[in-house]
Amino acid sequence: MFIMRFTERPYVAYTEADVRGSFRSSVRLTFSNSHFNPELGADLYNEYLDEYELAEEAGFDGLMLNEHHNTPTCMGAAMNLEAAILARITKKAKIVLLGNPLPIFDNPLRLAEELAEIDMISRGRLVSGFVRGTGIESWATNTNPVHNRERFEEAHDLIIKTWTTPGPFRWEGKHYHFRVVNPFERPLQKPHPPIWIPGIGSPETLEWSARHHYPYIYLETDPQVTVQMTELYGKAAAETGYEAGPQNFGYLWRIHVQDTDEKASEVGKGFLIGNAGIGRVPMPGDFMAPAGYNSREGSKRILEQYKHALKPDALYGGVDSAGWDAVVGSNRVVVGSPKTVIRKIREGLEILRPGILGMWTNDGTIGHKDTMRCLQLMKEEVLPALHEMGKELGLPGPFEQTP
Amino acid sequence: MTASTFESKSVTVGGARIQYFMGGKGAPLVWLHGSEGNLGWLPLHDELARNFTVYVPTHPGFDGSDRPPWLESFLDLSRFYLWILQELGIIRTTLAGHFIGGWLAAEMAVMSPQLAERLLLVDAAGVRPREGEITDIFLHGGEATRRMSFFDLKQVANYELLFGSKPTPEEREAHVINREATTRYCWKPYMHDPALPQLLARLRELPTLLVWGREDRVVPVEAGELYRRAIPGARLEIIDRCGHFPHLEKPAEFMRIASSFLLR
Repeated sequence: MFIMRFTERPYVAYTEADVRGSFRSSVRLTFSNSHFNPELGADLYNEYLDEYELAEEAGFDGLMLNEHHNTPTCMGAAMNLEAAILARITKKAKIVLLGNPLPIFDNPLRLAEELAEIDMISRGRLVSGFVRGTGIESWATNTNPVHNRERFEEAHDLIIKTWTTPGPFRWEGKHYHFRVVNPFERPLQKPHPPIWIPGIGSPETLEWSARHHYPYIYLETDPQVTVQMTELYGKAAAETGYEAGPQNFGYLWRIHVQDTDEKASEVGKGFLIGNAGIGRVPMPGDFMAPAGYNSREGSKRILEQYKHALKPDALYGGVDSAGWDAVVGSNRVVVGSPKTVIRKIREGLEILRPGILGMWTNDGTIGHKDTMRCLQLMKEEVLPALHEMGKELGLPGPFEQTP
Repeated sequence: MTASTFESKSVTVGGARIQYFMGGKGAPLVWLHGSEGNLGWLPLHDELARNFTVYVPTHPGFDGSDRPPWLESFLDLSRFYLWILQELGIIRTTLAGHFIGGWLAAEMAVMSPQLAERLLLVDAAGVRPREGEITDIFLHGGEATRRMSFFDLKQVANYELLFGSKPTPEEREAHVINREATTRYCWKPYMHDPALPQLLARLRELPTLLVWGREDRVVPVEAGELYRRAIPGARLEIIDRCGHFPHLEKPAEFMRIASSFLLR
């Protein structure tokens, strides 16, 4: 099992009232950047990099980053810059980018160049994830949402061809036009860095990923829906001519450990602030998914898929609406002592059977000191147990078995 | 006077089935709807049908009409519409339109001045205001946009019928389809064509009337003023205590102004 560490690198020095005061009461897109203090930002970026350094030392196989725009919930607006720094200051762990939002790039060749540099500087440790981005990413970059999926697929095809076909060549697609494709620096890994696709399970993306043999990383999705989605991926894989296994799947999970259950529960509540603000202050639906962002057919399939999960006590409705005890009780967020956490993770792994485990160790108001302690306990007790557990449960990661 | 009869018809253009309503007698008049989609044969169309053969097409990609897969931009839409009118056998016509339909009428007129008999633009998009701005209807969302579209809802006789507060699943789906189509054509540059103001000078021979609600909070009156300055000889009529939909909010006054222009 491949185990990676994640945090959204939040900025949390604002209040719920501040959010409610923004246009349409949204924590993303329209929440004014006048609430951002760069002095604090400077401290936070450096602390977050320190945490990733410790995460490598703790024995994580991967350091996962993500990217969002116009939001305090994730300071990774230019994720590739953080990745480039990690490429240089770390030595062993994979740098897992989940992922670059392809549709918002007007020049995917620039992205191909950045990723190639990260791959070389890290000496071949890049995992290049691609995403469609939330609707917010389209808004923030004024990218027409109706072209989101087309641009995702075309930018992907262009980048893969750029990495695998000697240039110069010409690309005249629907959304991208280049007459001399020939970025001189190519990635170190052959034929190209591994591609993983994170998401919440849009059926069209699941099937697309399966057809490309790209592992799909579920972003803390409802467990029952996740099992159904894995079947959908498996079906598309079978139609493509291979059998999907744990190496084709990842699961991202909020997991926070402290010395005792009591302490972990108290500190872990910090998850509720910031990113979990999606539950605390609901965002306008047309910010996250503007008209045209999903096809009509795709929208119907997503609704059908999530039918049973769209109820008040599900995490989908927001951690706050479900309540802390319910969320922890149902294992949607795992907090506890090393012993508790190991037991609970096992329960989840047995159902979900991912070959990639993303551990979202901290977010919201969980501070730097508590996070460093969490990573230390991961190193001493949790990670050794999980690596054994992965073997025992037969959960090979994508570097042990080709997806 | 009794209401005219109308028919619901369709025409296939470049492989796409385009739906339209048609009624009345006389020279053709094409009414082009706004971002809300085709609301059907309205009392307004009945009035116009007394003197014109009125066509009310549903724009490609809006609920009811196909979009050819290559049709992506507002320019594509305008060029394609000339083809639609060609297939309908319309050689010369009055072009009238509201909001993006007005913009569409203006684009068609500058592309093909010989097509247009008269031009009637109602609270039209297409020209970017310099002082104010065209409200971002996508950012505000459908409900807020509808609310800010009227000066006084009580002035809209059939508001519930047109924009019912409890839409059926089909109506909700139609709303999403219409919004998606508007997004496709009008997202960037937002609701305007930077080249249009310069090209409008071409319409010096074309009788043009611009009608605006003074309290339009979607497209400010300033845009109407810019249209007026750009089209030689154009007249701008502003209706007081009226929002973005003069033909729905002040139908009598709107018809009086429109008729005096159309029947002159």
